[in-house]
Amino acid sequence: MGKTADLLPGTLDMLILKAVSLKPLHGYGVLLRIQQISGDALEIPQGSLYPALYRLEHQDLISSEWGQSENNRRAKYYTLTAAGRRRLREETAGWNRLASAIAAALNTTSGEV
Amino acid sequence: MFKRFRSLFRVLTGRRDFEDGMTEELRFHIQQYTEDLVRSGISPEEASRRARMEFGGVNSVKGECREARGLPLFDELERELRYAVRLLRKSPGFTITALLTLALCFGANLTIFAAIDSILLRPLPFPEANRLVTIFNTYPKAGVDRDGSSLTNYYERRGRIPAFSSLSIYRFRTAIVGEPGSTKREQITQISPEFFTTLGVGPAIGRPFREQETTYKTDGVAILTDAYWRQHFNADPQVIGRQIRVDDFPKTVIGVLPPGFRFLSSESELYLPLSSRPEDRAPSQRHSGGNVTQMIARLKAGATLSQAQSQIDAQNATLEMDDPQAKMMAEAGFRSLVVPLHADHVAAIRPVLLLLQAGVLALLLIGAVNLANLLLIRASNRVKELAVRQALGASRRYVISEVIVETTLLTLTGGVLGLALGAGGIRLLAALGADRLPLGSHIAFDARLAWVALAAAIVMGLALAAPIAWFNLRRDLGNSLQSETRGGTTGRAAQALRHTFIVAQIALSFVLLAGAGLLGLSLKRAMAVSPGFRADHVLTGQISLVGKKYPAASAGLAFTERLVNELRRQPGVSSAGVVNNVPFSGKSGKSAATVKGYVIRPGESPRGHYSYGVAGDYFHAMGFSLREGRFLTGADSRRRERVCVVDEDFARYYWPHTSPLGHLLFQGSAAGPDSEAFTVVGVVGSTKQAGLTDDAAQGAVYYPYIYRPDSNIFVAVRASARSESLRLTLQKVVRQLDPELAVNDIQSMDDRIAASLVTRRSPALLAALFSGIALLLTAIGTYGVLSYAVAQRRREIGVRMALGARPEQIRSQFFAIALRLLSIGMIAGVFGAWLTGHAMQAVLFHVPAFDVATLALAAGIMGAVSLVASLLPCHRAARISPMEAIADR
Repeated sequence: MGKTADLLPGTLDMLILKAVSLKPLHGYGVLLRIQQISGDALEIPQGSLYPALYRLEHQDLISSEWGQSENNRRAKYYTLTAAGRRRLREETAGWNRLASAIAAALNTTSGEV
Repeated sequence: MFKRFRSLFRVLTGRRDFEDGMTEELRFHIQQYTEDLVRSGISPEEASRRARMEFGGVNSVKGECREARGLPLFDELERELRYAVRLLRKSPGFTITALLTLALCFGANLTIFAAIDSILLRPLPFPEANRLVTIFNTYPKAGVDRDGSSLTNYYERRGRIPAFSSLSIYRFRTAIVGEPGSTKREQITQISPEFFTTLGVGPAIGRPFREQETTYKTDGVAILTDAYWRQHFNADPQVIGRQIRVDDFPKTVIGVLPPGFRFLSSESELYLPLSSRPEDRAPSQRHSGGNVTQMIARLKAGATLSQAQSQIDAQNATLEMDDPQAKMMAEAGFRSLVVPLHADHVAAIRPVLLLLQAGVLALLLIGAVNLANLLLIRASNRVKELAVRQALGASRRYVISEVIVETTLLTLTGGVLGLALGAGGIRLLAALGADRLPLGSHIAFDARLAWVALAAAIVMGLALAAPIAWFNLRRDLGNSLQSETRGGTTGRAAQALRHTFIVAQIALSFVLLAGAGLLGLSLKRAMAVSPGFRADHVLTGQISLVGKKYPAASAGLAFTERLVNELRRQPGVSSAGVVNNVPFSGKSGKSAATVKGYVIRPGESPRGHYSYGVAGDYFHAMGFSLREGRFLTGADSRRRERVCVVDEDFARYYWPHTSPLGHLLFQGSAAGPDSEAFTVVGVVGSTKQAGLTDDAAQGAVYYPYIYRPDSNIFVAVRASARSESLRLTLQKVVRQLDPELAVNDIQSMDDRIAASLVTRRSPALLAALFSGIALLLTAIGTYGVLSYAVAQRRREIGVRMALGARPEQIRSQFFAIALRLLSIGMIAGVFGAWLTGHAMQAVLFHVPAFDVATLALAAGIMGAVSLVASLLPCHRAARISPMEAIADR
């Protein structure tokens, strides 16, 4: 396991949306997917995952449905809604803008001032 | 907005599902993680431990999830509800007292409100019912306040009063309906053709009556109510054209009314045309309403009552110009009044109902004050707990909402219990005779009542919460945390509030008690009035002499003779007679009589008198007392003797100084030739006709039946033993004489008199019941507050006793508090009772507004109850053991 980073505030929602945008997932699956797509670089506090899921569902960004898990157990699966897809697009664009701006700022050398 | 509602709905309905789902989801997560850890080589116990640890507190996660889902308000509410339920269950004594109080107060209020709502508030079941009016003739100076309207009035007015869009008349009567052998006496209503247009509701099947169906030759048509149609025609849709027999005449069914059609309080199931002859409509019949025929009309949109009134007045003035009776009618104060139909129909019962509602509202107030006091005492006991919680960060909002949740929970539960009690109360009302009141059979327990109960419970909950929240918030935190059992200065303020409440309670109870006393006294005075005859052992019944067998008065007379003779022969009958109207029958038409030689003094009005036609031994049967001369007998009718008997009121009015015997009088408002005059042959004692409380000495004349025949007769039988035993005899005799006739409305005179008092007796009973509850509540309140005061000052009492105070001193000290509260409450109560007595004058009979004896009695009862309630706490105070009280921390 490599180095892990703490989540920035407000980014968990974005990561959840991204995770369920790929395919419907149950809560534990969301956790694993985020770790997987971040190359195990991000550590999600397990307890904070579910309140975030419920909040997103309440905002109608994701929807849930009961289904069968891989080992045939009842599990609640989350999928992205149309509104969620739109939100994910906006947040991704916003994040990219912010990240490049910060990267540009941090890459500034003394000669450019 | 919609989204919010949907999620609220989801939260409220799917609460259990939500909780279960959440638990399952979190458990699944932990299990999956555990399994993954096991798969990576960790021992199952260790894996399970780590999975739980890394997940964090499941309960706090759940809490966050609930919050994230929105509407945390409901979770908070649930928490507070649970807390309130726990508190209430912890003190069952308080809770039961509070719920009983609320149930009684709400139940009483809902019962009376149900009556008020059905009778006074709800519009009549017709479109734009507020435009319906009734018009009646009144001759106040002749002692005739109300005389209905005549056929002539109707034919002269219809279409000629611009303020009315429609005008019609109707007449209630009974008729024998059915084929010979299976007849039944039914209530029917005779109506003019536009009756249903005036009301705005017409037949659902068929058509209304036509103009040409209002003569005796062409009136063979009938309209049925829905109920009659279902019962007698099996709801046959082809009923139009079928025949029924009414009073021995065939009638063709031409229409069926819609379900639920009901005109005022009428029980009629059949509607027939009000047919008449041209001479019945002549100007000479203009004042012959006789309170039998009534007029209704519908105001045009935009027209007012006063416009209609002035148009009627103007028409009357024009018509009077060539009316020979005009001068006499003017002297009698004749007018035709236009009044709203609904208000007029319920006018008599309105003050009684409003009075009762005021009474139960006072009861509710007493109950509320009682509860407020009990809640305040409880709050005082929880001072420290609340202070600790506030110190730990409970917000003011939280303290307030907690109180509101608790009181509202109480009042809502009380409201539900009250509704159940109210449903029983409505039955009690019916048992007390409410269904005989105008619109009284409409009184129903329905959704409207439930909404009122809900609203009242919520308002009551908030009102009760106010003083408690005030008490909880205004305390100084540090003080109450430090103080021992007493809350320092705030304790004194709360005590003042409690004492004020007790005083208010005593005052209100006293007013209720005094009011009930006045009603009771009024009933007692009414019952003490003599009806003017010996009502015991008299059985009476009605017979309708209708149909082809009894076309003329002589045939009716022959029947009455046979009836009386046959009855007299029956065992147990001491005498029998016939009259066209017995006292207390509910009918009280008056008519004119003219005394020969009597000159009307200037300014004096002609008078209406009760006029009767009697046959057989009517006077003996009813137990009239003879003052002078002789009674009339059956022989007078048989021999066509032109004689009559007058009552004392009549005699005193026309012959104040001489004997009336031998004087002549004429039926009607004009003298005629002596050959048509009646000679006075006897004077009997005056009797009450309309009711025991009818004070007007109107005077009565009794003629031989043959001169005042009626197709509807009353038979009166005096029994030598119990009159009820003659019921079957009476029916049997009538059936033997004519199998097609039936006796109805068989009642003893005692029962008729008792029934006439129902609007006095029932309110008095209810008021007594309410004041009994009020007394009980006041006793509970006084006891509770004093007990609390004793408990609160236990240590102080202990110390004082240890320092030498004697138990009697302690007892009298608390007794003095009770006495002070009682006397202040009573002083306020006496003032209130005085005001109430004035407000009640309209429903009182021969009782002054301020009846000292009643007030003294009320004060005695109030004082006794209140002092008994305070005895126990005072006694307990005196028995406090100083050692225990001081040691008790």
